[in-house]
Amino acid sequence: MVLIRPQASFVALSEAHFSALHVFVRLALWLGMMPPLCAYVGMTKHGWQLGTVEPLMLPKVTIGVICALYFFALLFGFISAAIIGRWMAGTYGATRDLGAHFALLVVVGAPLVLGSLMHLYPDVFLNLLVLVPCLIWSMFLLYRGLPIVLQTTPEQGMLMASSMIGYLFVAFVSLLGISVCLWVYGIGPRLGV
Amino acid sequence: MAAIKWPAAPTTYEDDVVLAFTIAAVLWSLIGMAAGVYAAAELVWPALNLDFAPLTFGRLRTVHTNAVLFGFAVSALMGTSFYTVQRTCHIRIFAPNLAWTVFFAWQLIVIAGAVSLFMGANAGKEYAELEWPIDIAITVVWVIYGVVFFGTIAIRRIEQIYISNWFFGAFILVVAMLHIVNSLAIPVSAFKSYSLYAGAQDAIVQWWYGHNAVGFLLTGGFLGMMYYFLPKQSERPIWSYRLSVLSFWAFAYSYIWAGPHHLHFSAIPEWVQTLAMVMSLILLAPSWATMINGIMTVSTARQKLREDPGLKLIVLSLAFYGLAMFEGPMMAIRSVNIISHFTEWTIGHVHSGALGWNALITFGCFYFMVPRLVGQPLWSVRLANIHFWLALAGVMLYVLSMWGAGITQGVLWLSLDELGQVRYGFNEILAALQPYYLLRLLGGSAFFVGAILMSINLFMTISGQRTVTVAPPTTSMRSPAPAAGTP
Ligand code: HEM
Ligand code: HEM
Repeated sequence: MVLIRPQASFVALSEAHFSALHVFVRLALWLGMMPPLCAYVGMTKHGWQLGTVEPLMLPKVTIGVICALYFFALLFGFISAAIIGRWMAGTYGATRDLGAHFALLVVVGAPLVLGSLMHLYPDVFLNLLVLVPCLIWSMFLLYRGLPIVLQTTPEQGMLMASSMIGYLFVAFVSLLGISVCLWVYGIGPRLGV
Repeated sequence: MAAIKWPAAPTTYEDDVVLAFTIAAVLWSLIGMAAGVYAAAELVWPALNLDFAPLTFGRLRTVHTNAVLFGFAVSALMGTSFYTVQRTCHIRIFAPNLAWTVFFAWQLIVIAGAVSLFMGANAGKEYAELEWPIDIAITVVWVIYGVVFFGTIAIRRIEQIYISNWFFGAFILVVAMLHIVNSLAIPVSAFKSYSLYAGAQDAIVQWWYGHNAVGFLLTGGFLGMMYYFLPKQSERPIWSYRLSVLSFWAFAYSYIWAGPHHLHFSAIPEWVQTLAMVMSLILLAPSWATMINGIMTVSTARQKLREDPGLKLIVLSLAFYGLAMFEGPMMAIRSVNIISHFTEWTIGHVHSGALGWNALITFGCFYFMVPRLVGQPLWSVRLANIHFWLALAGVMLYVLSMWGAGITQGVLWLSLDELGQVRYGFNEILAALQPYYLLRLLGGSAFFVGAILMSINLFMTISGQRTVTVAPPTTSMRSPAPAAGTP
């Protein structure tokens, strides 16, 4: 419903009350499991494809570890974004509790979770192709939904959404950096470094 | 500073030259991005070079970087610095004729540069490709630019020198120093010279230049822009003026050392690389302090955001500034750089800065400045909002596709097979990148279309109008008032 009529569902969200724990256990946890699960299935079945001839087949245990790390990274990203959002909200005149932030993030993240179905076939390029439009869609939802759900003016919502995007950039780039460091130190693909 | 003499009768601001620089910057952005889009298309379909030497990737790429950096970015900085320095010093620009000389001479230089690059003349140093006759012309024009700028500061009618002027001043001084030292060469003919430096020294001097050109031009100069236009547009004083001064000095001090992070794992001494890595990490602090200062400045300006489409672009540019300033120090860490170096990841980093930060903040300032220069409302706010979304989608596509390409490239280059040999050949890896290049082309094109919309919008705003005459306030003030009512 959220994906078809965002405006209406944002208004509904803004009127409802959520307990943070409730949203987390009922929704976030399960949605967060989707991408790692798809990645696990995809990587064990098809291998990891960087666009060259042979796919990279990793042992099942390694894949398991990678997917578990992926899951925790997503959870960390989700919770930290909500907490940072809650902290920022004071500056932008939004006073709703953590539950509303969780709910907002679930909605905003939904297109990405949907796009992550593409992990079932882990070709890096195809995944990017699907996930980039999803990401732009998510950003659009963030700019649109934030002021409504958090009950602030559209202008302050725009500022806060930009700040959130700044934080998410940093979180994502850190993830990239940490993964690369792990590879260089021998966890992941075998590299000549 | 009791020695300052306040000139008796302030005349009006010289704004025609500002408008001229603005129009030139917009034109150069279109030319430069068109070259960028074409170069990006060549990476997808190599046949597009039509076997015509000036259109080959190597030449077109240099034309792209020169047109966007020296045509677009420098013209924009010259224009906005003249606009800002007059309004923060409450005085007409020092020697307007010299300012016009800078305008015409600089445009000629960029045109001559583009033509010489198309012809294949190249000094062989990145971002300093122009040959020695042009280098000498650049030096002369730059000195005149400095005379106009610092001359205006010298005759100012406000005691304090506003923070923007510190950044613009550092930009002018440091670029002069970098340019002169790095371009020292022995000419052998009108179109060929050899650098005075050789080997590892040459590399260190070159990246001292290259990195600080990024630091003081693409970062410092644009921070000068930000510190004037952001408070002005949002009608709020800077959140913490003290923080801005503090971060200026920290920034100027730490940037200068970071150049060798472009030379990790090369023949330069290892301690130099380590020093650069550490200084790059330290640089994170002043960069982020500046970003936070900017974000906090707008955070209460809700009314303005509704009326001013430009402010949105500036706010977004701060997010990308934060990204580039975080990603950069990370890439300076040697364990990350070993993967990212020489790959498209660097290109993604460059454009998250160049498109996301430099281009967006400039566009935002132009949307603010141009209507005020000609005394007309912006032709179409709707078009500007469409530009916002095209720009955001364009940068995201560009950066994400280059991240994907960069990681792929880095991992494949380093992959080993069972015998410990390099697993993939160069051709194979290049072929694997093709789809990402296509995606980048799409992103770049979206960004380019946005810029075209902006040009139409600004052109329609300007057309048929003259610049309005604006006089400085007659009472000289003791402190600069960036958010006060000066037009
Ligand atoms: C429509 C937008 C643009 C497109 C499609 C584009 C495309 C490109 C391409 C294809 C390259 C060569 C990459 C390679 O060698 O693999 C490049 C390099 C570069 N571009 Fe752009 N560009 C755009 C806008 C800009 C702007 C606005 C700036 C600066 C303000 C800029 C600054 C640079 C720089 C500095 C490089 C050299 C990077 C390096 O050597 O690491 N570009 N661009
Ligand atoms: C704290 C700030 C920054 C740091 C520490 C930093 C660091 C780096 C590093 C490590 C590289 C890769 C060098 C290599 O592996 O070859 C790089 C490349 C580059 N960065 Fe940054 N960066 C920062 C901010 C920026 C910003 C704001 C821009 C603005 C546009 C920018 C533009 C560039 C360019 C043009 C290159 C490519 C140079 C080339 O031609 O190879 N950087 N930077």
